[in-house]
Amino acid sequence: MEATIEVTELRKRFGLTMALDGLSFTVQPGRVTGFVGPNGAGKSTTMRIILGLDSVDEGAAYVGGRKYTTLRHPLTHVGSLLDAAALQPSRTARNHLLWLAHSQGLNGQRVDEMIELTGLRSAARRRAGGYSLGMRQRLGIAAALLADPPILILDEPFNGLDPEGIVWMRSLLRSLAAQGRAILVSSHLMSELEDTATHLVVIGRGRLVAETSVADLIARASGDLVALRTTARTEAMTVLASAGATVAATGTETLTVSGLPAERIVALLGEAGVPFSEVAGHRATLEEAYMELTRDTVEYRAEADVTP
Amino acid sequence: MTSYTPTVTPGRDGFPALIRAEWTKFRTVRGWLIALAVAALIVVLVGLVSAAGSHRSCVGPHGRACPASVPGPTGPGGEPVSDSFYFAHQNLVGDGSVTVRVASLAVVKPDSPQPGDDTTHIEPWAKAGLIIKQNTRQGSAYAAIMLTGSHGVRMQYDFTHDRAGSSTARWLRLVRSGDTLTGYESADGTQWTKVGSTHLNGLPKSVPAGMFVTSPQHETVSQSVGSFSTSGFGTTAAASFDNVSRTGSWGQPGWHGSAVGDGPEMIQGPDGHGLTQSGGTFTMAGSGDIAPATGGDNTVEGALTGTFAGLIVLIVLGSMFVSTEYRRGLIRTTLAASPHRGRVLAAKALVLGGVTFVVGLVGSALAFLIVNKIRRSNGVPVQQVATGTEVRVVVGTAVVLALSAVFALAAGAVFRRGAGAVVTAIVLLVLPYILAIASLLPVGPAQWLLRITPAAGFAIQQSLQQYAQVSAWYAPPNGYFPLPPWGGLVVLAAWTAVALGLAVVLIRRRDA
Amino acid sequence: MRYALHAEWTKLRTLPGLGWLPLLAIALTVGLSVVASAAVSCRTGCDQDLTQVSLTGVDLGQAVLAALAVVVISGEYGTGMVRTTLAAVPRRPVVFAAKGVILAGVVIPVGVVAVLCSVLVARTTLPGAGVVLSEGSTVRAIAGSVLYLALVALLSYGIATVVRDSATAIGIVVFLLYLFPILAQVVSSPDWQRHLRQIGPMNAGLAIQATKHLDRLPIGPWAGLGVLTAWAAGALLAGVLLLQFRDA
Repeated sequence: MEATIEVTELRKRFGLTMALDGLSFTVQPGRVTGFVGPNGAGKSTTMRIILGLDSVDEGAAYVGGRKYTTLRHPLTHVGSLLDAAALQPSRTARNHLLWLAHSQGLNGQRVDEMIELTGLRSAARRRAGGYSLGMRQRLGIAAALLADPPILILDEPFNGLDPEGIVWMRSLLRSLAAQGRAILVSSHLMSELEDTATHLVVIGRGRLVAETSVADLIARASGDLVALRTTARTEAMTVLASAGATVAATGTETLTVSGLPAERIVALLGEAGVPFSEVAGHRATLEEAYMELTRDTVEYRAEADVTP
Repeated sequence: MTSYTPTVTPGRDGFPALIRAEWTKFRTVRGWLIALAVAALIVVLVGLVSAAGSHRSCVGPHGRACPASVPGPTGPGGEPVSDSFYFAHQNLVGDGSVTVRVASLAVVKPDSPQPGDDTTHIEPWAKAGLIIKQNTRQGSAYAAIMLTGSHGVRMQYDFTHDRAGSSTARWLRLVRSGDTLTGYESADGTQWTKVGSTHLNGLPKSVPAGMFVTSPQHETVSQSVGSFSTSGFGTTAAASFDNVSRTGSWGQPGWHGSAVGDGPEMIQGPDGHGLTQSGGTFTMAGSGDIAPATGGDNTVEGALTGTFAGLIVLIVLGSMFVSTEYRRGLIRTTLAASPHRGRVLAAKALVLGGVTFVVGLVGSALAFLIVNKIRRSNGVPVQQVATGTEVRVVVGTAVVLALSAVFALAAGAVFRRGAGAVVTAIVLLVLPYILAIASLLPVGPAQWLLRITPAAGFAIQQSLQQYAQVSAWYAPPNGYFPLPPWGGLVVLAAWTAVALGLAVVLIRRRDA
Repeated sequence: MRYALHAEWTKLRTLPGLGWLPLLAIALTVGLSVVASAAVSCRTGCDQDLTQVSLTGVDLGQAVLAALAVVVISGEYGTGMVRTTLAAVPRRPVVFAAKGVILAGVVIPVGVVAVLCSVLVARTTLPGAGVVLSEGSTVRAIAGSVLYLALVALLSYGIATVVRDSATAIGIVVFLLYLFPILAQVVSSPDWQRHLRQIGPMNAGLAIQATKHLDRLPIGPWAGLGVLTAWAAGALLAGVLLLQFRDA
């Protein structure tokens, strides 16, 4: 089976709210795809639809080319973590995994392997109700990986993890992707996905905003900005502006220049005899790139930004 | 990039795996296992309390000591019966017949009538006629043709069987031919009509046969909110027979009068002298009945009073088995693992139904055996019923518990909240039963509730049968349900099936 | 306390899906009362306590009001909102009292409507003069039935605070209420019957509805209501103690 997730033209309405409005994207195997968007953008709804939990008004979602609800032993095809708190509090972690294993015709051996993998061994026979959020996330990962699926769908798996847990989760996701699995990870905080996701599906207000690789996105956001460090700020601004560039002062000795490539800036400043110590292409952070993209789509924005 | 190739091969597919998963789910919540144990225990405990509070008290009007507690007679089918009458008999050897005309059948005024007693009318089921009986012991097999107080001619045999004849005939004939006994009636003594016949297997060659008369208790019931009381008094009927003729070979030359059954109210005759004969007319008086026993006191199912309490526990358990999944969001995990939602509910229902059936069976069997033993040792004359009936009562109770738990499960899936499901199940299942049984409702509405609500299923517990030929207070507080045992269970099963069907439709249609 | 009351009232009236419980309670109470009254026939002289008959519905309506009382507290435990509540008003007995007062404030009007409707509608079907409203004992039965419902609600509230799960709490309340009438029905010893009717919260409490043959009652009307009050007080005490000394 080709490990892909395909979502085509999803539309879903809750009462008057259009939760999803023609959303389409594809998740490819072998990489971690970040699924990002502001709160309320429709990430969780999309994931529930992929898993056959919510109905759609229009469109369809396919995992490995098939609808989720037609899969036999679905957990061997798709592992998912939607809500780490979805546990019966008086059941132990091991027993939680055990009933899931039994539902797929698996036995307890695989359960113990997953407990080992997620570092829950010492707590596996304790009531899950006493778990911290971080431990619940680990248990949720164990449940998602239980039947060794080639596709993983994880909703906010970094929530509640301590710094050590975040590092663990990132490297786990990277290694799972390296095995050829398709991994869709949602987050409303772009920074969590830095160094993990290589592709991004960005949505806002139920629509696709961007489907891109992380490298492209950053390159585009970085644009042709050049950072310039100089002690002769005024002269530099005059020279570059007259050459057609847009120049902004970002500090007493720093300028941001757009409209001219770095080599041309160096040449112009050299000709005019303006001293400078550094010329560098500006590299946007993922966070900046994301903010740039979703500027118009944020659902719950601070009041001052609400368009009348 | 090539896709990942899984290293784990899934096991067998399908429904058994789902059932195993639901069973694992069930057994790994300790509170639910405790609830199961509590349900079984509470059935036994409530039974024990009721047994402890039940001992035979007989502070009679004359301060007489209690006679030793002996269970009443049982008929050929094992059912409790009344078998008291005045009998003028001879032994019939082999085939033969006896014919009489019932000249009169009238009530005998008691010596000391109580105020309010109706002593002027004959009891509708007072009986006078001919009987052939296996022997003169109570409960032995018989066949009889008789004139009744106001139900015309009847052919009755072995207590539970009754066939109506005409309402005008006064002449009766009873014929034995081998094991076959046939009753005839006639208005004039010449034109005879067959009323009915029966085979009494194993009837000895020589059997007592002759005339009998008896008259049942007159009962009145007064019901008030929360309690009822029955008051009754024995009645006596006097009958005279003439035109007595016989065929076949008969043991003794004359008629021998004796009372079958030894109730204190048995009167030996209109003037205390038993059978009197003047010319061809025989006159005698009798009291009692030849009929299946009725009355809800001391039924075997009294030991299972705690069923409703165990039911409450299982309703809570059943609704929680699904509502906690909704409350925690765990239902999404369940449905992601098994997308066939109807099958998920079916697996849950099977696991819950199976577990509660087994536990219910243990509870009801223990309660039945222990509590009835204690009641008997306390001197309570617990009614004897056939073993098949006992098994039906005990196993049926377990079925009621299991069906009710599944009903609550379905309600939990419909409401997705424990509280709503429990309220619904209790209002539909437990309260109608309590309102009817605890005499909180008048009989009419109580019977309707026990016909149409799922509480009708409790009918499976009734060991008593209603008989058209016995007038008694056939009402829920007295142990009588308006539906027959299996009919009531079918009503409960239908409710459960409909609720489960609704739950399946809703769980398929709704977003998880 | 005033703010706590206001907060609890806001919470109760904004709880979704709760509005139907009072309506159901009224409907079941009136419905059963009417059915019971319609079934009264006076062939053998009207010896029946017609006031009591026309209040029969309380036997059924109480179960729904008990459920309402349970949901008021266990709904908060179910969602974990109790932590928010206790963070807002850290003095837990105040929270407990505020909820209890609001609950009684809801149940008493519902009870008044249910009981008065029962009596008035039942009057149209009862034979003869029916229920005479001006009699002292009738007034006592009607007012007492409202009090009875409020006390049952408080009993349920206390139990729900102790067990914290709505389904379990409703099960326990129903069990406590109806166990005694059933047991009294099946035990044959008159002493046991009398004692069971004296100590059971439902049997004892409903003695308040009797207007005839008071000498034959196992327990007097006000003494009976006192027994129910003791049950409710015990449950409330257990509830407030556990709320105070247990982790939220």
